[in-house]
Amino acid sequence: MRGMLKTTLSMVLTVWMSGISFAGEAPMIADKVAKGELPPLEERLPKEPMIVDYAAENKTEGKYGGDMRILMGKAKDTRQMAVYSYARLVGFGPDFILGPDIAKSFDVKEGREFTFTLREGHRWSDGHLLTTEDFRYFWEDMVKHPELGRKGVPTDMLVEGEEPTFEVIDELTFKYTWSKPNPAFLPALAGASPLYIYRPAHYMKQFHTKYTDADKLEEMAAEAEAKDWTALHTRKQRQRRAENPDLPTLQAWWNRTPPPSTRFVFERNPFYHRVDPNGNQLPYIDNVIMNIVSKDVIPAKAGTGETDLQARYLRFDHIPFLKQGEASGKFRTLLWNLGRGSQVALFPNLNASDPVWRDLNRDVRFRRALSLAINRDEINESIYFGLAQPSANTVLPSSKFHRDEYTTAWTSHDTKKANALLDDMGLDKRDEDGTRLLPNGARLEITVESAGESTEETDVLELISAHVKDIGVKMFVRASQRDIFRRRANSGETVMSVFNGLDNGVPSADMSPQELAPTAQPQLQWPQWGQYNETGGKAGTKVDMESAETQLALYNQWMIAPDMEKKTEIWHEMLGNYTDQVFSIGTVNNSRQPVVISAELRNVPEEATYSWEPTSYFGAYRPDTFWFDR
Amino acid sequence: MSKSATRLPEDHYVNEAPFDPKAIEKLTPEQEAVFLASQMQLMWWKFKKHKLAVFCGIFLLLMYLMAAFAEFLAPYNLEAKNSQYIYAPPQSINLFHEGEFVGPFVYDYKKELDLKTFQRVYTEDTTKVIPLSFFCSGDEYNFWGMIPADNHLMCADIQKPIYLLGSDRLGRDLLSRIIYGARISLTIGLIGIMISFVLGIVIGGFAGYYGGWVDLVVQRLIEVIQSLPTLPLWLVLAAIMPANWSPILIYFGITVILGLIDWTGLARAVRSKLLALREEDYVLAARLMGASPARIIGLHLVPGFMSHLIASATITIPTMILGETALSFLGLGLRSPTVSWGVLLNEAQNINVVAITPWLILPVVPVILVILAFNFFGDGLRDAADPYG
Amino acid sequence: MLGYIAKRFTYMIPTLILTSMLVFFLIELPPGDYFESYVNELIAAGETIDPKQIEFLRTEYGFDRPVWERYWIWATGMLVGDFGYSFEYELPVREVIGDRLIFTIIVTFFTIIFTWLIAFPIGIYSATHQYSWGDYGLTFLGLLGLATPNFLLALIMMYLANQWFGTAIGGLMDPEFVDKPFSFAKFLSVMEHLWIPVIVIGTSGTAAMIRRVRANLLDELRKPYVTTARAKGVPEFKGLMKYPFRMSLNFFIADIGSVLPQVISGAEIVAIVLSLETTGPLLIQALQSQDMYLAGSFLMLLAFLTVIGVLISDIALGFLDPRIRLQGGVSR
Repeated sequence: MRGMLKTTLSMVLTVWMSGISFAGEAPMIADKVAKGELPPLEERLPKEPMIVDYAAENKTEGKYGGDMRILMGKAKDTRQMAVYSYARLVGFGPDFILGPDIAKSFDVKEGREFTFTLREGHRWSDGHLLTTEDFRYFWEDMVKHPELGRKGVPTDMLVEGEEPTFEVIDELTFKYTWSKPNPAFLPALAGASPLYIYRPAHYMKQFHTKYTDADKLEEMAAEAEAKDWTALHTRKQRQRRAENPDLPTLQAWWNRTPPPSTRFVFERNPFYHRVDPNGNQLPYIDNVIMNIVSKDVIPAKAGTGETDLQARYLRFDHIPFLKQGEASGKFRTLLWNLGRGSQVALFPNLNASDPVWRDLNRDVRFRRALSLAINRDEINESIYFGLAQPSANTVLPSSKFHRDEYTTAWTSHDTKKANALLDDMGLDKRDEDGTRLLPNGARLEITVESAGESTEETDVLELISAHVKDIGVKMFVRASQRDIFRRRANSGETVMSVFNGLDNGVPSADMSPQELAPTAQPQLQWPQWGQYNETGGKAGTKVDMESAETQLALYNQWMIAPDMEKKTEIWHEMLGNYTDQVFSIGTVNNSRQPVVISAELRNVPEEATYSWEPTSYFGAYRPDTFWFDR
Repeated sequence: MSKSATRLPEDHYVNEAPFDPKAIEKLTPEQEAVFLASQMQLMWWKFKKHKLAVFCGIFLLLMYLMAAFAEFLAPYNLEAKNSQYIYAPPQSINLFHEGEFVGPFVYDYKKELDLKTFQRVYTEDTTKVIPLSFFCSGDEYNFWGMIPADNHLMCADIQKPIYLLGSDRLGRDLLSRIIYGARISLTIGLIGIMISFVLGIVIGGFAGYYGGWVDLVVQRLIEVIQSLPTLPLWLVLAAIMPANWSPILIYFGITVILGLIDWTGLARAVRSKLLALREEDYVLAARLMGASPARIIGLHLVPGFMSHLIASATITIPTMILGETALSFLGLGLRSPTVSWGVLLNEAQNINVVAITPWLILPVVPVILVILAFNFFGDGLRDAADPYG
Repeated sequence: MLGYIAKRFTYMIPTLILTSMLVFFLIELPPGDYFESYVNELIAAGETIDPKQIEFLRTEYGFDRPVWERYWIWATGMLVGDFGYSFEYELPVREVIGDRLIFTIIVTFFTIIFTWLIAFPIGIYSATHQYSWGDYGLTFLGLLGLATPNFLLALIMMYLANQWFGTAIGGLMDPEFVDKPFSFAKFLSVMEHLWIPVIVIGTSGTAAMIRRVRANLLDELRKPYVTTARAKGVPEFKGLMKYPFRMSLNFFIADIGSVLPQVISGAEIVAIVLSLETTGPLLIQALQSQDMYLAGSFLMLLAFLTVIGVLISDIALGFLDPRIRLQGGVSR
């Protein structure tokens, strides 16, 4: 009796004292530990691992095991794994809030001093410790190296051209400092395709002349058919594409299949730093198997149960087929919300080279009239099954910044008002078939150019051309090809283009409002102004329209805004201007993205937003917590 | 045996009828007709014997007529769409409603949105009858882009849609689109063939006539072109074509591409025929009389086997039609809103259609029929082109 | 005989050189380059890029060199097995091609056998029973295969095979076997998937071959020696088999020259639809993204395959038919 009591007591004591009680690991890992191939759990996890908040994120504790199959359309898509696994220094959670992940904590002073503290005992996938040496290597031996750093400092680490100073405080703490605030830094670290400011130094040093003999490096380079040691180094350190099976990683799964292949197996990373609230090391799933097939065949494969987690290459119009396939019981189709500001949007080119069109496009009445003429309900009915939200090109209803006035700005189907606006502009003369005439006598015929890749765009445009006929505008659609499409827009030959709306429809105050101002060349309504901003004035043309100048000024204000309050204020002002000035004409948003998951897969949110930024497609929803209920 | 036959001692028979020494050489009227008939006549007679070819020829003629009168024959315009009837299945034409003869009509649809399967479910509403009328007024159109009219062969009396072959994802009538699509699909082959023809005759002609190193170079060129897989060649050529040209220009661009790839077969045939024929005396005579090579080739040699060429050209037209569909499939050919059978097939090329709305695959039927027709017609032409064979 | 082979061989070389120039020229023609396409592709997916990275890559890969220099490097490289570098895969082209060429050869091979097996008997029957219902019927069936667009047929068959037989969608084998070494199970899986592309590609070539076989055989049957044999009372079938048939066997071999390019290119489209592990999908993707060296090398390899195929058939023909050797070439 006394013996039993003693044993029970000691068991309870041990359990209570071990801190992370009932700490679990995958059976396949436990095997290896038993054989001595891997160190035990306490030595594999950091002292303070990242604990996923299951309560807040609505998750359940899972079982270990299983292989998750996903389908991709190109060999390059292996980089999607880093997007999906989403282990970042700091990352966005499913609530779109930035938090520490790989870093234990971070501190920002005046928006320009960033101090990060790593987790003690955090190891790379091959067992080596992650320390500030890996960060120092990146900055001093790569970016600042005369040969390796030819590319220059990454754009997100420059503030008005100024480089940061990097400081190692101790083995686990380091600091980046700028003289002015750098609001782009943290979102860049948390991005879907992030700014990597670290490398596995212990592995990379063998490819660096500072640590390895130059002759030996030349030999290795020649063997690998690389031009020189810098090319070899660059090739070996590419973390995005998961193509170097020997490169250690911090992600949940580690690719061990050398390319080229049509079947990549990402194996469990035994040193992954996240655990569930009960201390079980994540991920639950053993392997992620990525099959590369023709993208046209992916919907068919998804609909016959050949994938366990799939959203890429599946579109709204595949939903009936997927739903039909659910009868087999092998999978379910979830309908997440698409995070785009508008499914399809028109971009009047404010930099059009033809002066007549430039003036027309720059006249806000013209843009507003076009927007009013569109019957968004019909588009919603016909193409989106009535499930989308008629809206201007702006943030989604689920966004914190959402205000009704943004969504409904100039979107009522009001042909009378539209006609009145155009008449107001002096375009009141019409041709015999009702098409308005320009002052120079030519017919008001717009040619909208598209990249020719999306039937969705073509369909929406067909409907829109019928709508604008009612206000005397004749619309032609010219399907082009991606490269030509971009080139023509950049050079001003295009009068109006059609493309996706805002990339990020659920922004938060600390994310950049760059899409709302002329900041980059890919922005189809003001490519030349954007180019001017991107290149620091070396190419493109300076903004010369008042309303656009206002946006740019607000954007610059955001860059130096001292706190969240001010940033939020600026966001709202920019959003208001953007929709009121109708810089791009939106149609509908909040459409659905089909997500096929295996019938046995758990911890996948039933409803969520599917977007590149900020949720990194599946990333923010933590695929490492998904598990197979078998 | 005539009664007036004289019986000679050895029982020989002598005909009493007057003797015409030239009787052997004289032909019966039918035989004379054949002898004196022109080459064309002979070909026509031989062609007529091939019943299937004649039938196909008539079918093709009808198809071209249909393409010419598309606006009249199609129940709807090209732009007509109806967002209330998206993905509607085909309707059947009925004659009897509740036991009574009412004349041709279709039933209306009852539509439901199934939010579980995300499909539109259409059922026949046997209470609502939509009578069809013929030679009636329907959508307005410009006949051949010039003459405004609104006569249609068939339309619905009430303003409800009739979708004999179903509707597509924007509620457009498939039958109308197939009829309009015939315009482009049937003519693209013809123009491409003409280009092919000209190239083949010119290049093959010079190679065959001159022989020697010209022949060698041309032969190598032909080999090179034939050894390259056509598909990638198309891709590359179509990639060069600026994709923002107007539909008309793209159309011509495609015919040129198709024609450019296909002339090699013709050139080979021309060349081998010429190699044989150029030793003939009449060619020598022409040359001695000072005719230029072009004249000799064009006026004397080629017409001799023109019929063969036409026959093989006819058989190549199906390749052009298929080529157009293949280019559309790759996204290089014509695109919406232009309508051709290739565009329609491209829109049907996805798993949704095969599994859920299979009637959108129907455009493949006219494609198959036309190709078969061209093949048999061409066979008949080829057999006829050699009337002495 | 050796002289004949040598002559054919020497003819092959200028052909290949011309082909390589044509291929390179055509690949260079479309404006823009790989990097521009890559950037635009990222933008289309809503992703972000660092413009500096792109410029860097551009100079890295020598896009600042003149055209003819790049051609020369590529062309001479091919002779020693260096096919250039693929930007899409960021690997040498040689590694990317890998198994694909073998699978292309397998599919092509089976398709040609299939085409022969079907076309030959039908062609012979058609020739001997000209204008009969059988002739029409069989020709009709053959033409049906030709008339149906390949891509549609492939899609439909792929779907039906999955519905009726549970065959996995697309591919030449089930996904589990993709990178595994050869085994009996893998072989079975390939057989399970192979018949769809073989039938789809094969049927489109069958009609043309039937017609050619028929025409050739008819020509033979009209020759005087056949009439003589018939007049002398040789039984129909024996008369057919002993000489005309053997004459047309010549044609069998000679026809590879026409069939091979058509099969290879037909295979490309079908391979895309069915997502086969052959050269098709890769080639199309490479052409669309202007991954120059990959596309160019693929095209050259396919052209090379065709030329070799024709060469082999010519040599085989040379062995079979002494007249060819003496005349110095086939007039096809």
